[in-house]
Amino acid sequence: MRSISQIPGLPPLLACAGLLAVWEIAARIIGISGLPPAHEALRELPGILTDKQSLADILASMRRMVTGFALALIVAVPIGLMMGRARLVAAFFNPLLMIIYPVPKAALMPLIMLWLGVGDASKTLVIFLGVSLPVIYHAYQGARAVEEKMLWSAAAMGLGPAARLLRIVFPAALPEIMVGIRTGLVLALITMVTSEMIARKQGVGDLLFNALAMAQYQTVYATIIIIGMLGFVIDAAFEKLRFRVVAWAEPTHDIAVGST
Amino acid sequence: MESASSMIAIERLSKTFETSRGTSHLALSEISLDVAQGEFVSVLGPSGCGKSTLLYIVGGFVSPSAGALRVADKPVAGPGPDRGPVFQEFALFPWKTVLGNVMYGLLEQGRSKADALARANALIELVHLKGYENFYPKELSGGMKQRVAIARTLAYGPSILLMDEPFGALDAHTRTGMQMELLDIWERDRKTVLFVTHSVEEAVFLSDRVVVLTRSPGRIKTIVSIDLPRPRRRAELLVDRRYQQYVVDIERLMDDPRVIPPPQGEGDAPTGRREAPPDDKLRAPGGAPS
Repeated sequence: MRSISQIPGLPPLLACAGLLAVWEIAARIIGISGLPPAHEALRELPGILTDKQSLADILASMRRMVTGFALALIVAVPIGLMMGRARLVAAFFNPLLMIIYPVPKAALMPLIMLWLGVGDASKTLVIFLGVSLPVIYHAYQGARAVEEKMLWSAAAMGLGPAARLLRIVFPAALPEIMVGIRTGLVLALITMVTSEMIARKQGVGDLLFNALAMAQYQTVYATIIIIGMLGFVIDAAFEKLRFRVVAWAEPTHDIAVGST
Repeated sequence: MESASSMIAIERLSKTFETSRGTSHLALSEISLDVAQGEFVSVLGPSGCGKSTLLYIVGGFVSPSAGALRVADKPVAGPGPDRGPVFQEFALFPWKTVLGNVMYGLLEQGRSKADALARANALIELVHLKGYENFYPKELSGGMKQRVAIARTLAYGPSILLMDEPFGALDAHTRTGMQMELLDIWERDRKTVLFVTHSVEEAVFLSDRVVVLTRSPGRIKTIVSIDLPRPRRRAELLVDRRYQQYVVDIERLMDDPRVIPPPQGEGDAPTGRREAPPDDKLRAPGGAPS
């Protein structure tokens, strides 16, 4: 007989239902306006998702996220790969990364706004920074771990240094790079929202804080649910893609970011 | 044999590594060796004696610190498709299928896709992997992976095979099977082979000559010519007194810390060419490799 945990999709649904139930009961017991019952927040969802202005905000946020994310991949993957294969490049970038890594990227937002204004450029740059670091780090680790003998085998076939980096180091490091990209995706979503909370012009973060300022707590919670679902869908879609792209790889450690 | 037909000519070659503590470590010392075209030569020695390093230098993957190295009468400047490596770690491209791995070097050498496909298929059949063309390396056993690696290297037609303990990661049964397959393949076109191993039996079974290295730093202790008829069959050799004698003699040589003068051969005992640098006669065994 199959146990409940073996039915696909059921455990996460049960978890969601459980969370909503706890929320509903807690809200009724505590009874403050800052914590509306779950059903009131859920009731707001259709309204937000059909409102033109809200949808435009969500789409604008997504556009910045995709732009910052894509730019980060284009820059971070080559840097990480070269760091992994050239000691000089690693020696140059490592201290820089060490300084930037622990700084919350949103904390840079006010400074960046001084340079680039409150528009798309600042927010995209913050997302870019947030995504770059984990991708660089994992590309670096992946490239460093590439077996020397694999590169020698390629060299004997006639591949030069540039061809080896592109056609051996890159695919060999791809499983590790994909782990970095997954972390980067979640960070892109987080920096997207926080950047909009600081530079409030439009976007999901602006939507959230406008509602908060106007004490529309149901809307605040509904927006948080939307952001959470967005993250869940993006992560699940990426995991599908990841398993297809690196199906050839030996199963390695999994990652504790997001869930599927 | 020394000059005209010599495929690999190694002359007074030494290698020093810089350790992370800033000291230097002499891995190979004054190695001189000529390998003739079509010859199967094994390099045998205790682990850490630098025998793999010697092979990597011939491959052009590691540069020597001193001495000269010529392959087919040309100085070695780096890796090249004339010298095909096969490593203990297989080093397959995991994102490529069996077929993709075997075709890789062919396409790299500018062969047409149809041509590469035909040759790759023939080689896959040669190494008994027909039916596994579309498998990924992670789906194969160790022995199968090494077959793919051998086919991948044979594919681009190197004139020299450089084999770095190729069967060292395999279980005993697979290992002896692979030794026979390798000899069968070798009998077909008699490529020059430099074969690194720490198994005396493997070296004697496969080789025309066995080069025995000393403990670190690796020097040539002796070179034994293996005068056994080919094609060789393992089951026959195991009961062959000459084979047994070679194995026993070389085992003794390896146990002996000194570089030994050639034993006085009697009857059909092996009478291989033995070389020993004179200053090495009473060398105490070196410390374990750090």
